[in-house]
Amino acid sequence: MLKPLLTAVLITLPFAGWAEQASSEAEKAVHQQILPGFAALAAASARMSDAAATDCAPTSQPLRTAWNAAFDDWIKVSHLRFGPTETENRAFALAYWPDSRGTTPKTLKRLIAERDPIITSPDGMESVSVAARGFYAMEYVLFDPAFQGDAGYACALTRALSADIAAKTAGIARDWRDSYAALMMTPGSTYSPYQTPAEVTQELYKALATGLEFTSDARLNRPLGSFDKPRPGRAEARLSGRSQRHVVLSLQALKQLAVILSEGDQALQDDVSQAFDTAISQAEALDDPIFAGVEDPQKRLKIEILQQTVKLIREQQLANIGNKLGVAAGFNALDGD
Amino acid sequence: MKRSLLAPAAVMLSFGGAQADTGAVLTTYADIAQATFEDSLTTAQALQQAVAALVAAPSDAALENARLAWKAARVPYQQSEVFRFGNAIVDDWEGKVNAWPLDEGLIDYVDEGTYVGPTDENEYAALNVVANPVFQLGGAQVDATQITPALLETALQEADGIETNVATGYHAIEFMLWGQDLNGTGPGAGARPWTDYASGEACTNGNCDRRAAYLVAATDLLVSDLAWMVAQWQPGGAARAAATEGGLSTILTGMGSLSYGELAGERMRLGLLLNDPEEEQDCFSDNTHNSHFYDGVGIRNVYVGAYTRVDGSVVSGPSLADLVAATDATLNAELVGKLDTTVAALGEMKAAADAGFAYDQMLGRGDARGEALIMAGVNGLVDQTKSIERVVAALGLDQLEIEGSDSLDAPGKVAE
Repeated sequence: MLKPLLTAVLITLPFAGWAEQASSEAEKAVHQQILPGFAALAAASARMSDAAATDCAPTSQPLRTAWNAAFDDWIKVSHLRFGPTETENRAFALAYWPDSRGTTPKTLKRLIAERDPIITSPDGMESVSVAARGFYAMEYVLFDPAFQGDAGYACALTRALSADIAAKTAGIARDWRDSYAALMMTPGSTYSPYQTPAEVTQELYKALATGLEFTSDARLNRPLGSFDKPRPGRAEARLSGRSQRHVVLSLQALKQLAVILSEGDQALQDDVSQAFDTAISQAEALDDPIFAGVEDPQKRLKIEILQQTVKLIREQQLANIGNKLGVAAGFNALDGD
Repeated sequence: MKRSLLAPAAVMLSFGGAQADTGAVLTTYADIAQATFEDSLTTAQALQQAVAALVAAPSDAALENARLAWKAARVPYQQSEVFRFGNAIVDDWEGKVNAWPLDEGLIDYVDEGTYVGPTDENEYAALNVVANPVFQLGGAQVDATQITPALLETALQEADGIETNVATGYHAIEFMLWGQDLNGTGPGAGARPWTDYASGEACTNGNCDRRAAYLVAATDLLVSDLAWMVAQWQPGGAARAAATEGGLSTILTGMGSLSYGELAGERMRLGLLLNDPEEEQDCFSDNTHNSHFYDGVGIRNVYVGAYTRVDGSVVSGPSLADLVAATDATLNAELVGKLDTTVAALGEMKAAADAGFAYDQMLGRGDARGEALIMAGVNGLVDQTKSIERVVAALGLDQLEIEGSDSLDAPGKVAE
């Protein structure tokens, strides 16, 4: 998609005298987190697709292991929702969650009931509702017997879903490597979506803010519900027992980005590092893989404490990093109701 | 870095000479809010009269009149949505009048074959208040023998803490007037027969008197809620005072949040990606194209400082556009151009829908023409958000935005 643009940029750059260099923080974020993160995701997804081609049985251990590894790699980059992830709605097709109206199981059930042949071609998959694609849809097919009754179709679906994930992640990694990284590093150049270095920095700052908001509001608040009405059924990826793991993985990735964006201010960087370490160790210590503990006052308290720690990071560290960078949070996809 | 280069907006303006000052811009903004909510109120009062006529003498024509009045009431109301997000008073109140999506089985009968019924997420999704004068809710018995605005507002709205238990507002009324749209992504809207409100033997689907009582109560409540909001924007009103104090970031927060996360994201792009006809905002009436269009118009209204009222008169004054033009004329032209592009794209979608290609048909799987119409609007909204962010930076509002934005501090979730 973006490849022809890169050539154009390289040709244009020497003449575009007003192109500037992105900040050193942005350069580090791209080279230390974004490029390796999406490359790892693409590689793990390709391995998963290969595993599904070899053995599509939902109980296949190599397949489940490969799915888990690829899902891990997605969670580590899932806060980076701009540029290549948004092209062709790739990220939506990889991860449709939260699903408060049960659209994923509903759409999957319809495909299965009709033995819809649309899944058998990549073009066909492209037109399937995003609710029935990506890691969260695949979780139902691998871990919920209600979606495995028709073994032949379930097998075809498993292969189609994993191949779709592999194709989407390969596209994201390719665009980042071949063009978007260069465009991001040269704001103001002809094809860069950014006019100034500050806009590049703001994009990364927004990714950090959005990622923290998502972990706090979707991953933690949704299952917490209220004290009188906890909602354990809303925990993320609970069929495969990954709810707690996602909180840990996302906090680790967000910490890496936050530390990079704090660079140049040692005191701030130390504060940020410490605040995230507290949250990560609280998350690791929960021993509650699917947040079933939201219904148990003792265990619930620990999840609430973690939630407060994340809230504190959002209120204090995030604001301090914004001040240091001189950028505002701007608007993100979670705005609205 | 950037902020050290930028003086606060007020200081920059003193070099600008005679153009608009911040106070005058905020006054225009509040005037437009007042006029938009006043128009929302008068059109809702017209709906109230049409509903009264329907209930007094049910007929096909009376039902159609009420439906037309509902659609007319949406025109000014959707233009008021840009006052959400930035204004806490509007945001905290909005759920009473415009909550969506709803599990409509809470209110009245639904199609047994396709409606999912009670779910893990909502055990009251098929409660059917119209058919049940007394029921259990959240461990307590509710007496609904008299269907009143108070019953809707206190016992039913967001019952059991579930957001999709929507008992009040435009979309509850819409369901009472149209009924479920059972056509999927095919042609056709909800087709509730007028006999759902007929008396005696002519009554279809049972409990016509209770159904009429529900419709009347919901409409009365909408009118009183809108009257309350109109008062907040009068001179001396709380919303007007808060907006004046909140400064320019109030305007920009509303524009950006509605453009991006809410309209482009949750309401338009998501529905398209899900190919789900229930993912259209006015799903019973097939009026979604108008709702989206007037949202886009509303965003432009507050930037250019002009609102065309339902009687055709114009409320206008010194605008944010004037102010930005004095600081950075290129940026102002960029944003005005993008706002126009978006309204034009949404207008194309509206024209196609008015010509018979309904919004839910556009959401159909593999419907390339529908996708192109919707995505042109989405792309325009996303694009204008970038320029709105540039205006925030150019006016030096960075810090205000972080501290004062309700939508950033307490947002909902995109897929809810």
